[in-house]
Amino acid sequence: MRPGRLPIAPFLAAAGLFVGAAAGLQAMRDRAFGTDTPAEQVLYVQSPEVARRLALSYDAIAADVYWIRALQHFGGQRKATTQSKNYELLFPLLDMSTGLDPYFNIAYRFGAIFLSEPKPGGPGRPDLAIKLLEKGIAASPNKWQYYQDAGFVHFWGMHDYPGAAAWFERGSKLPGSAWFLKSLAAVTMAQGGQRESSRLLFKAILESSDNDWMRKDARHRLEQLDAMDAIDSLRKVVATYRERGGPTPVTWQALVRAGYLRAIPTDSAGVVFSLGPWSGDVSLGEGSSLAPLPDTPVAPPPVPTR
Amino acid sequence: MAAIETTGLAKDYRVGFWRPRPYRALHGLTLTVESGEVFGFLGPNGAGKTTTLKLLMQLIYPTAGTASILGRPLGDLEMKRRIGYLPENPYFYDYLTAEELLGYFAGLFGYKGADRKVRVDRLLDEVGLGAERRMQLRKFSKGMVQRVGLAQALINDPEVIFLDEPMSGLDPLGRKDVRGLILRLRDQGRTVFFSSHILSDAETLCSRIAIVAKGNLMASGTLSDLVTAQRNGWDIVIDGLAQAPAAGGALRKVTSLAPGRFVIDAQPTADPLDLVRALTAGGGRLVSINPVHDTLEDLFVRQVDQAAGTDRFGGAEPMGKSA
Amino acid sequence: MSAMVSVPTVARIAANVFKESVRDKVLYSIVLFAVIVIAASLLLGQLTAGQEVKIIKDLGLAAISLFGHFIAIFIGIGLVSKEVERRSIYALLAKPMSRAELVLGKYCGLVSTLTVNVVVMTAALVVVLAIYGATVEPQIRNTWEAPAVDPALATAAFLTLVELSVVTAIAICFSTFTSPVLAAAFTVGLVIAGQFSADLKNFEHIVDNHAATWLLNALYYVLPNLAPFDVKAQVVHAQPVTPTYVLLTTGYGALYVSALLALATLFFSRRDFK
Repeated sequence: MRPGRLPIAPFLAAAGLFVGAAAGLQAMRDRAFGTDTPAEQVLYVQSPEVARRLALSYDAIAADVYWIRALQHFGGQRKATTQSKNYELLFPLLDMSTGLDPYFNIAYRFGAIFLSEPKPGGPGRPDLAIKLLEKGIAASPNKWQYYQDAGFVHFWGMHDYPGAAAWFERGSKLPGSAWFLKSLAAVTMAQGGQRESSRLLFKAILESSDNDWMRKDARHRLEQLDAMDAIDSLRKVVATYRERGGPTPVTWQALVRAGYLRAIPTDSAGVVFSLGPWSGDVSLGEGSSLAPLPDTPVAPPPVPTR
Repeated sequence: MAAIETTGLAKDYRVGFWRPRPYRALHGLTLTVESGEVFGFLGPNGAGKTTTLKLLMQLIYPTAGTASILGRPLGDLEMKRRIGYLPENPYFYDYLTAEELLGYFAGLFGYKGADRKVRVDRLLDEVGLGAERRMQLRKFSKGMVQRVGLAQALINDPEVIFLDEPMSGLDPLGRKDVRGLILRLRDQGRTVFFSSHILSDAETLCSRIAIVAKGNLMASGTLSDLVTAQRNGWDIVIDGLAQAPAAGGALRKVTSLAPGRFVIDAQPTADPLDLVRALTAGGGRLVSINPVHDTLEDLFVRQVDQAAGTDRFGGAEPMGKSA
Repeated sequence: MSAMVSVPTVARIAANVFKESVRDKVLYSIVLFAVIVIAASLLLGQLTAGQEVKIIKDLGLAAISLFGHFIAIFIGIGLVSKEVERRSIYALLAKPMSRAELVLGKYCGLVSTLTVNVVVMTAALVVVLAIYGATVEPQIRNTWEAPAVDPALATAAFLTLVELSVVTAIAICFSTFTSPVLAAAFTVGLVIAGQFSADLKNFEHIVDNHAATWLLNALYYVLPNLAPFDVKAQVVHAQPVTPTYVLLTTGYGALYVSALLALATLFFSRRDFK
């Protein structure tokens, strides 16, 4: 060892040991006391106007940050196994994001759909969804998609069919709006909560959506509607079979042998429908990806977890 | 036409933050430097030498008085083309090489292309920078920076060259080179105005000098005018005396160097031979005898003491009073 | 006559400033870091549920603006302060130049440097966007408000550059008469205030006092209004930025820069270099 200059290895090892010990101590402490509430539960700045001042000329990127936080908040609550999901921060975060960037299209639409999702799976706040959409309309009065989303919120979240029809109607009057808005207005007015109007609505989303996951879920919902239609007709078949004296327990094979069905019925996910042998009740097979089938009206689509 | 002329040049600073008091760094300096002279501007540290040079270069503005260089007012662009300046303890851009720095300055004078390159090379040769010229200045020693400084002061073949402490930081070889350079400039007919507190350099180089102390001009003129050739006394060293000779009369001062050895400071009017005979009569042996002349150092110390001692000029003084 | 300014002298000093910046490791680090940030935005896109193109553009333009500001403020202040502090200015001013030429030369040099830096960072952003755009399916590409490589990005970068020219002029102006630390503080303060300039005008709706309103209005017109240079959000959302707007805003910037440089020249010409 040269005088004055210290040896490398022992000191590096010592530093490494100290850091390792500190990390171990921290782990022990966390086990005993638990980590603090996650940072995302705290909203330091509550007002979009203040945030806009603080962000100086970097408001667009601040809007992106709030958007990411909103997504993580929503996804985190979705995945959480606690009984009551707490979506408290969803509206504030989306409000901040759109306050910083009033043209943040996706934030308005995401907010519309997921804020109105009923409990216990979602926040169940269609009123906030409408509030957000009205803000979007104030900034971009000609964006017909917001009117469509508002109609959606009234339809699902509030079961307010005349209200939904009114929004679709207003939207259809805007320049460049999609052709189906007028039909949606008419259908919702006429049929209210019928399956057909749901089918039309989801077909509309499928066609118009500029977002991958929205389209995927619309497709999923349509498949669910198809399954529900299939179940209805299968129920009719089973009822006819039993009326005509078919023996119980009733099975699909029996029905096929008897010529009532061409093949064992499966849903679009390829899972066989389940048939209660004594009750004759038809429902979705176990393990089908289409479960749970909704009651009409259909609940909004879930966020696909990555 | 005088190369440099100042009339009552004065500079006040304000010292202190809450109640600033005026501090007079230079009291009404009036002097003239003729063309072709090597002029030594001498004084202790803090005397106002650098202040004067900065005033002449218009780095600071005078509180009173005027000055001209080559007959033109300070700051005149045409005049600046004909002068060169080396600041004290210079610092140049350390990310440039010596070549690049000189090239930059040469460009500022309007030299272009091949002419510029030739000029830069010549000057770097003249100050003794060889292959180092392609090194970045941040790697240069103090002496090398001083050489670059001299080169940049001469890049435009100036008629008047201002050097602020040109020997500072140089080793004896470097100082010899600079002395040689200044003499060469004089032989070329240029005017050199340099400030220094090293008197031996002034004695060898200057035709005329000025001494400043505490912001005042204490003396100025040719060396021969200021430093008289008269004898001030005799220095006699005698060895082997049994006891110290008595001081008094012709013997102004007697100092013991070693047991039996004494140096005697004798009056200039005394006859040296008589003195020696008298001193060695008691068995002493003459070691050496030297006449003592007035030197520049003597003059310098006298003037500086006078400036300090009289305290006429210390502290705050209202403006408008001439020196 | 210190009032006369010769273009070749200014150009030579500017060239020297540019050379200094090219050899400045700090500057390189800043630009390199900005490029890394822009490239890293590709990773962030994963978090945004389909908003990758927006976040790449937002982050890229924000990085260009932010790092550009760092360079403009801290190097702008150093330009004059370092020379004076290290006293390299002594030898420089003895050369045939006026103090005005020195200040202008320093300014032009730094603006040239900033131009190169902004161009480099914008090019990096364009490359990242091109790569991203090429790897994405056409049906997603069709849903974007603006194409990935959008010429309007150049408009945003250009106006950012004009803003940085104003900020540089502010920095140089302050550094001609105060210490580097104070100059930095004042410059940052003025730049931040420049973002809120619009609020000053709105105060008259809140404040009842006539004199106060008049004062605030006057401040609005005198203080540099930097918010209009920010067209980042418009460009990302494909809202048009008209040539007239660019012309008026650039003109405002040029006039403000002229005012600041006039002040800077004035302060610089009157000071003593102790």
